Amino acid sequence: MVSFLYPVIKFVFPPTREPDQVILPFLDFKDMKPNSVKVFSWGSKPGFVKKNKNGSYWAFVAVCTHLDCNVTYIPEQRKFFCACHDGWYDENGTNIGGPPPRPLRRLILIIEGEDLIIKREGVK
Amino acid sequence: MMWKMKRLLVFSLLIFLLFSFFLLKLNFAQEVMEEEQNKITQAEENAEKIVPSPKDIKESIGIYVFVVWMWIAIIVLIYILRLKIKEVDRLFYIRFFSAKKK
Amino acid sequence: MNLLGKKKRAQSWFDERFGISGIVKFLREKKIPQHKHSLWYYTGSAIMLFFVIQVITGFMLVFYYNPTLAEANKSVGRIMTEIPMGWIIRSIHSWSSSFMIAFVFIHLLSIWITKAYRKPRELTWMSGVFLLCVTLAFGFTGYLLPWDDLSLSATKVGTDIPRSIPIVGVWVTKLLRGGEDVTGDTLTRFFGFHVCILPVFIFILLAVHVYLIQKQGMSLPLAVESKKEKIQELPFWPNFVYRESVVWLILLGILFTVAIFLPPSLDKSADLMAPAPEGIRPEWYFLFLFQALKIFPAKILFINGDTFIVILILVEFLLFFFLPFLDNKPAEIKGKFITFLAYVTIVYAVVMTVWSLL
Repeated sequence: MVSFLYPVIKFVFPPTREPDQVILPFLDFKDMKPNSVKVFSWGSKPGFVKKNKNGSYWAFVAVCTHLDCNVTYIPEQRKFFCACHDGWYDENGTNIGGPPPRPLRRLILIIEGEDLIIKREGVK
Repeated sequence: MMWKMKRLLVFSLLIFLLFSFFLLKLNFAQEVMEEEQNKITQAEENAEKIVPSPKDIKESIGIYVFVVWMWIAIIVLIYILRLKIKEVDRLFYIRFFSAKKK
Repeated sequence: MNLLGKKKRAQSWFDERFGISGIVKFLREKKIPQHKHSLWYYTGSAIMLFFVIQVITGFMLVFYYNPTLAEANKSVGRIMTEIPMGWIIRSIHSWSSSFMIAFVFIHLLSIWITKAYRKPRELTWMSGVFLLCVTLAFGFTGYLLPWDDLSLSATKVGTDIPRSIPIVGVWVTKLLRGGEDVTGDTLTRFFGFHVCILPVFIFILLAVHVYLIQKQGMSLPLAVESKKEKIQELPFWPNFVYRESVVWLILLGILFTVAIFLPPSLDKSADLMAPAPEGIRPEWYFLFLFQALKIFPAKILFINGDTFIVILILVEFLLFFFLPFLDNKPAEIKGKFITFLAYVTIVYAVVMTVWSLL
């Protein structure tokens, strides 16, 4: 019985894995204004590269921690906003209002010469 | 001779004008059409939302006529069904079918 | 041999093999009680009418629909703009689904309040609860198929809700989505659910449901049953069927009129990378749940707000499913309390729905 069901169950769950890292040309992000974000694709999810006021770069997975909607950045209020159920995050990605239970997921961002390397936490 | 030449000139000019007008008109029309087509394709590309509706006046009139006829048909059918209901209920209450069986 | 004789012979030929006359005899002898709550008996056949319309328009739409990431939105657009009468067919499919679900709710509440699930109709009720789930699943999967911004966000939220169920939740989400995230695979999978898997289930469940109803006859409301008077009855065929036809005709007329004058629009193709648009909203029959998700705080008693809601829904569903066994003394205080709960549910659903629209 199990041996019949095993391939069926294996079949219906396709192998999808999050990327370990994404390499982007830094040139595209060089001219970003401070306090703004730019979208990149993190697997099949959107990610945000955010340039902070002091000129440093951060990367987030731009997906709400509540129920998976894509969030947007509102520069005037310096907040992330999820339109699905009115979730708010501050500019550091900390959840500050509405239903989101956790802060936005941070990714590790390294600038290496011409490249912008964005990594999952825990990947070397 | 001069007079003849003048006449020919005026004539040819007239013809030219006439044709050029057509030509202009043709070109103009084409341009307009192209512009309109460009607009349409742009509109299609930029289309934020497709709001469905009858394509032209003919289709919309057709639809109004259909709706009116549909309701008339429904009312007539309901009227007939009401008569039928009265009849079958009457037959049921006088036990028409059960009497026949016995 | 005259034509009438031939017809008779053909009838008896089929009858010998099929036994149609038995069915006809059964339908003639089937009695529908007539009392002041008889109106509710029509809701079931109204659902059936809309279901048949769904099947027919669904067959038509599937001729042109294309369940892939690149083509889904375009093909729906094509149905609405290029295909003659396409927008009407889509509109009827969409409106008929709403009508069907509305009547499913009315049917269910009427049975709850008149307590038609009393012994021996427990299994009818349970198959009905499964039918409700399948119907809602039809609505949910169908909502994604046009692949516009609204439907994508609604599906993201909807498929993420089971994730909060302890242990199995993550796998349910993965099964629904065909992977970690909502992608083109999800669309194709939802199409498969919508046109293959759910129809199989709904036909089996419908067969069971309708068979049980025929076997046990029409239920009498408690108030009527306790009077112990002789109740007027009408034969199902043809007296009741004629009455049902009147209802069908009126509903058909309303459906077509609404579908023609208020056709659903189509937004631009959804972008997986774009932020969720403002004012996203699921179909009206999920609004009460949507509003609950919105107002629940992030944490309640050390667990996530949405985990709390999901557990609440599961518990409510189980109670609901086993309602005939819980409500085993319908005439006493417990039964009255359960009827009262039905009204509370109606008020709750209406309040939440109106609130979410504000």
